[in-house]
Amino acid sequence: MTRPEIPEPLRRTIASDLRPVRPLPPLWKRAMAVAVTVVAVAVAVLITHALRPDLVTLSPWVGWGAALFEGLIGLLIMALALRESVPGRALSGGVLGIVIGLAIVSNLIVVIATRLDVAGSAGMWGPLTRGMMCSRNELMFALPALLVTIYLVIRAFPLRPQIVGMLAGLGAGLTADGINHLLCPVSSLMHVLVWHTGAMLGLMIFGWCFGQVWTIVQIRRIDHSGP
Amino acid sequence: MTELSADQQRLVELMTGYQNGNMSDFNDLYEALKAPLTRYLWTFVRDAATVEDLLQTAFLQLHKARHTYIPPRPVKPWIYAITRHAALMHLRSHRRRQEAPPADALPDIPIPPEAEKLGDRKMVQQVLLELPRPAQEVLVLHHMLGLSFAETARVIGISAGAAKVRAHRALKTIRARMAKLGGRA
Repeated sequence: MTRPEIPEPLRRTIASDLRPVRPLPPLWKRAMAVAVTVVAVAVAVLITHALRPDLVTLSPWVGWGAALFEGLIGLLIMALALRESVPGRALSGGVLGIVIGLAIVSNLIVVIATRLDVAGSAGMWGPLTRGMMCSRNELMFALPALLVTIYLVIRAFPLRPQIVGMLAGLGAGLTADGINHLLCPVSSLMHVLVWHTGAMLGLMIFGWCFGQVWTIVQIRRIDHSGP
Repeated sequence: MTELSADQQRLVELMTGYQNGNMSDFNDLYEALKAPLTRYLWTFVRDAATVEDLLQTAFLQLHKARHTYIPPRPVKPWIYAITRHAALMHLRSHRRRQEAPPADALPDIPIPPEAEKLGDRKMVQQVLLELPRPAQEVLVLHHMLGLSFAETARVIGISAGAAKVRAHRALKTIRARMAKLGGRA
């Protein structure tokens, strides 16, 4: 059998850029970089912000435990974003559905557990300014982990940027909610759904849009260079 | 991790050599992959010139993404995913420009061994190409190019169970169509 000829333009392009490359580190190492960022943000927030006044009266499982629970699930979701950014490691629609559901449910579990543990009523909404502050906090606390994840994703080769972006935003939002749980004293379901879950889902949508823009840019490039 | 076949093991060695900057490993990789990737690309486009262009695009993307291959993982799912992406981006670009992709005469493409016994080869080819693309993709990746259902699923972004169901339904459709057309189904 004759050996297939490599087309000359392809051969030339490959030969001109054949420097050795180091394979991406394994997933756990890349996820560790995100985890270190989340821990650094958490430590910085705990040092610079006043903790919720009722934290001492809450059971440790509901106070610190719930924050850790959300943080770990958020990290898991960001690790899935890193996994999805490597070709041939695509997640199925079912897994994506479970992940989004898990993020929302864990958010609700935390607020319900807190509500059951808190003495007295926290009001229906909490003050509007408090709500806006919570959303702002969530976005601020999520930003470093989101940026690190996006950097690691860009260094890989995401084939479905919308899904990668969505997972990165959702995971970063959930870890930020875990940190914010230690600050926000309002445990009404409406407050959490609107200002906390809302911010988390907002980050998820932002990540999806970022991926969509990325895809459009890629298609435009093909339009300009294509046959 | 499951044991790799000799063929898969060879691809891992070639890919590792290519990552280390060895041009002859790239040449061997091209030789080993040209035919299966061409076959896979026929599930997306139907003209030889575009398939040839897309093959070059896929290899260029593979070159850009070569650092994302993590040895000793199987090479095939990684490569087919990149090839699939090149084909899908091409199709989207065509749709955006509202161009109808050209369709060549039916190529003499290989068919899955499971479908070969169903009747005249040309007829099976015709029926196979009439299947919806998702069904064709699973048949080609699993039954012809030798990926496991789990690997096929990771290329396409579906569950292994869904890949199995798609392949089963596709073969059933081929059988039914062949029976209608007077094959041996």
